[in-house]
Amino acid sequence: MALIETQNINKIYSLGDVEVNALKDVSLTIEKGEFIAIMGPSGSGKSTFMNVLGCLDKPTSGIYLLEGIDVAHMNRDELAAIRNKKLGFVFQGFNLLPRTSAMENVELPMLYDGLPAGERKEKAMAAMAVVGLAGREDHHPNQLSGGQQQRVAIARALVNNAPIILADEPTGNLDTKTSIEIMELFVRLNEESHITIILVTHEKDIAEFSRRRIFFRDGVVVSDELSGKA
Amino acid sequence: MINIPATIRISLRALRVNKMRSALTMLGIIIGVSAVITMLAVGTGARQRIGEQMASIGSNLLMVLPGSTTSGGVRMGAGTQPTLSTGDADAIQKECLSVMYVAPVLSGVAQVIYGNQNWSTGITGTTTNMLYVRDWPLSAGRPFTDEEMRSASKVCLLGQTVVDNLFGGINPIGQIIRIKNVPFTVIGVLDAKGQDPGGHDQDDTVYVPVTTAQKKLFGTAFPGMVRIIMVKAKSADDLASAEKEIAELLRQRHHTGQKQDDDFTVRNLTQMMQAAEQSTKVMTLLLGAIASVSLLVGGIGIMNIMLVSVTERTREIGIRMAIGAKTWDIRLQFIIEALTLSMIGGVVGIIIGISSSEVVSLIFEWPTVISPVSIILSFGFSGFVGIFFGFYPAYKASLLDPIEALRYE
Repeated sequence: MALIETQNINKIYSLGDVEVNALKDVSLTIEKGEFIAIMGPSGSGKSTFMNVLGCLDKPTSGIYLLEGIDVAHMNRDELAAIRNKKLGFVFQGFNLLPRTSAMENVELPMLYDGLPAGERKEKAMAAMAVVGLAGREDHHPNQLSGGQQQRVAIARALVNNAPIILADEPTGNLDTKTSIEIMELFVRLNEESHITIILVTHEKDIAEFSRRRIFFRDGVVVSDELSGKA
Repeated sequence: MINIPATIRISLRALRVNKMRSALTMLGIIIGVSAVITMLAVGTGARQRIGEQMASIGSNLLMVLPGSTTSGGVRMGAGTQPTLSTGDADAIQKECLSVMYVAPVLSGVAQVIYGNQNWSTGITGTTTNMLYVRDWPLSAGRPFTDEEMRSASKVCLLGQTVVDNLFGGINPIGQIIRIKNVPFTVIGVLDAKGQDPGGHDQDDTVYVPVTTAQKKLFGTAFPGMVRIIMVKAKSADDLASAEKEIAELLRQRHHTGQKQDDDFTVRNLTQMMQAAEQSTKVMTLLLGAIASVSLLVGGIGIMNIMLVSVTERTREIGIRMAIGAKTWDIRLQFIIEALTLSMIGGVVGIIIGISSSEVVSLIFEWPTVISPVSIILSFGFSGFVGIFFGFYPAYKASLLDPIEALRYE
């Protein structure tokens, strides 16, 4: 069974009289442990596809099976539970809670999962160590560099043992050196923990870290190529 | 699976981050709650005072007063002619079934002298029944005996004020005082009662047998006449029928014709007192209602701030949703924030309300009563305000689209 399977997914936005077909019959299969870069010009539908994969948005039609379960027809709270347990998000703008320590940011997903405080703390410490930020637990986001903030975000994505990490332009706000460090962290997570990584990027160098590249244009998949890592 | 303690921590942190704003928001609730507490304390104090005075007069009381008489076609002022007699009083006692006690009253003002002390006070000629009518026990001594009543003995009962003014520290029982130069033996002292609703000192009085008052003190051209007849009905329910029975009986006894006006009036004291109590009750409610308006305004202030807060924190809400916060996780977070604001405001308001009631009673010498009920009520109400006015912003927050919320700058 594939980890992710989409069949003929369509997403139509109605903007007044105009209907925008953001996704047209997208059918893809993603196996566990893949490292995928989704690429395409802006407006190609790659972000919409990420939102659908991330259970933040529902497709207008089509089937989306996550670990064999149809999630396209779930309600808000069921989707929230799926996001909490199965998906980790890493954003371009980090999206950490301000005025909240790194530790508490990492604990957040477990808070909504109802884990007891002791277990939360233990797991959060472990996740912070994995991303190389042990000792920075009490720092607030504004006391951390961009790269460090993104590491906190990755720790937050990891902490509930989600099988999938969705990263939307994770290096968009970082300099080249830090970008490479972050990408190496993704590669390590993918290779060592077999976490499926799906990232959206328009930078070729970043996409080089992946093993499969999917190109979108005007809402359709125009190419889907496997490549040995450069 | 909502993690309540953690949600509370999240909410409290948000409030701490915006200290000034939280304090100002609370101010509305603080003012509202303290106003409610103070106003209710003032109103309840007034009511309690009236209630006490009402109890001091006695319960289920009727007062029969002489009415206007007509003499040769000329109508005289009410009460100018004595129309009531001890005989009327006795007849009411005997024949009216709804009546428990009857006490005739013949009163006047006189100088009372003991040794080198003198005091001007009201002299009430009445019977021992008066003590039952007024629910007025003796603090010392004994009431009049039937023999003393019959023989118009020169004995008297003193009110506490008279005792204080004439005797100082001396035990008055058995002492001789002179009223209008007539010597009277003090046989008892009336318990202290305090002021009546009109502000008169009820203890400034001397009771003598009505017969003695008629013959020795306030003798009139009409022997056997009394000024007032006090009546105590068997129960509150019997007041109306007692009133009717007395009127019927007196019309018959006074040979009042079908078309003639009554030459007496029956007044329901209890009813008058109840009316007074009712009006203070209305006043309390009114004060409370006005104060509640400020509490309401405080609540709207909370809602206002919470709405601003939801807009400001749209991105935070988006992050929380993406990470797995469910509808109620978000709602509870904001409701708890609003609830915390209103509850802290409520507690501070209660403290301020209690102190300002104390200040009111000190400065204006107005009795204030802070009932636990009003505290529980305003605390509960401020909690309700928090939930009520917090719900809409929380509801709004929970309905945000996570994608849009994440994009919000």
